[in-house]
Amino acid sequence: MYILQALDIYKSFKDVRVLRGISLQVKKGEVVAIIGPSGSGKSTFLRCLNNLEKVDGGTIEIQGEFMVENGPGNTPSYRSEKELARIKRKMGMVFQNFNLFPHKSVRENLMLAPVLVQKLRPVEAEKSALALLDKVGLADKVDNYPFQLSGGQQQRVAIARALAMEPDIMCFDEPTSALDPELTGEVLQVMKDLASEHMTMIVVTHEIGFAREVADRVLFMDEGVIVEQGSAEEVLLKPEHERTRAFLSKVLMAR
Amino acid sequence: MEYLLSLLPAMLAGTTITLKLFFLTLIMSLPLGVVGAIARMSRFKPLNLLMQLYVWLFRGTPLLLQLLFMYYGLLIAGIRLERFTAAVLAFVLNYSAYYTEIYRGGIQSIDRGQYEAAHVLGLNRFQTMTRIILPQMFKVVLPPTSNEVINLIKDTALIYAIGVSELLRVAKTAAVRDFSGTPFLVAAVFYLIMTGLIQQFFKWLEKKYDYYG
Ligand SMILES: Nc1ncnc2c1ncn2[C@@H]1O[C@H](COP(=O)(O)OP(=O)(O)OP(=O)(O)O)[C@@H](O)[C@H]1O
Ligand SMILES: [Mg+2]
Repeated sequence: MYILQALDIYKSFKDVRVLRGISLQVKKGEVVAIIGPSGSGKSTFLRCLNNLEKVDGGTIEIQGEFMVENGPGNTPSYRSEKELARIKRKMGMVFQNFNLFPHKSVRENLMLAPVLVQKLRPVEAEKSALALLDKVGLADKVDNYPFQLSGGQQQRVAIARALAMEPDIMCFDEPTSALDPELTGEVLQVMKDLASEHMTMIVVTHEIGFAREVADRVLFMDEGVIVEQGSAEEVLLKPEHERTRAFLSKVLMAR
Repeated sequence: MEYLLSLLPAMLAGTTITLKLFFLTLIMSLPLGVVGAIARMSRFKPLNLLMQLYVWLFRGTPLLLQLLFMYYGLLIAGIRLERFTAAVLAFVLNYSAYYTEIYRGGIQSIDRGQYEAAHVLGLNRFQTMTRIILPQMFKVVLPPTSNEVINLIKDTALIYAIGVSELLRVAKTAAVRDFSGTPFLVAAVFYLIMTGLIQQFFKWLEKKYDYYG
């Protein structure tokens, strides 16, 4: 039914309560945009979904398999590392800072995980790497190193690298925030293409225009809770909550 | 000129000992430094503390003292090591401590995002270390490593103190015997050739690693 369910997620750093009961259910093929002010916990939430942070409480279920389940006394119990590695493989993640491997060529960046983790034969991995690069419009950059690419190109490579693992869900954490404005378009276009191919996507973004155009659902997060959610139209054009309105007017003013 | 030639056989023999100690130390301490750095950063507290103690001991005391201890100290305690074996032991322990610290700095300089990218791609810890972190670390640590390797060549002269006939000792013996400064000059040239070659080698390595930004 749901491809991803996160229920009642809690997470604190020291005594800072960053996530205070976040729940998100995503259907296959859905594109969910998460917006919200800086420090509201958006990245932390995505990082919990990708097992980069461990939750303090809550349940995360991906395609019917629990990554973490609330045990007795509200203490979360995680699956074994091996199981987690397997379940997590269904998730792809794209970072704000790309995090490409600088010592590896574009081709090697794309082939590394498929060969090491999925045990694909190198020829196979290379074939799909080339196909993915073609898809993000960078077929001519296979032999380049990340430092030779623009930010927008690097981020497109990072997207292709995540796709090379054939994830069922793609998470994006402000994929265009580190880019010069004139380079965001090319990255957003790749993401739009993905959405039109019915990739399930969770996108943390400040690009309200992108959210409006592509997202099936928009969540507004503030201070560790989801304040409001609904269709892009509902949340972005007719927000119910004052906090949402204040945030939107601030973001839209900034343009 | 004839005098110079007469010095050469003994000097070359001394250099052989010097180079033997040099390469044995490098072959062992370079990889041990990697292991040491990983252990030093271990989240397992006892191991971490043990490595801190080790690094402190071997960087915090003179290499000469360590050398004397490995030979004479142990000898007095009833453990008899070959002079050269004692030298290798002291040098490996000492240099591994330095490399441990150099590599630790190198590993810590790698951006956390690299671990995270490897993690979300499903690489396990070992793969992340060997494929992502260590290769990038090598580039970072090349300059400090090259410094230590040059120091090592010069430090080999210390084994003179436990009576091993390396290059400097051979030179001194000849100098005293012949009442001449020439043997020292010859030894200096030998050292300069060795350190010069090492410098060139590391220059070449750095260039090789320069392929990415
Ligand atoms: N590893 C950490 N240790 C301590 N505090 C952290 C850590 N990671 C995040 N935080 C804190 O958690 C809060 C939420 O951070 P988070 O990065 O999730 O916010 P965000 O909504 O993604 O903000 P932004 O829009 O600026 O990216 C912030 O106050 C931040 O300082
Ligand atoms: Mg963030």
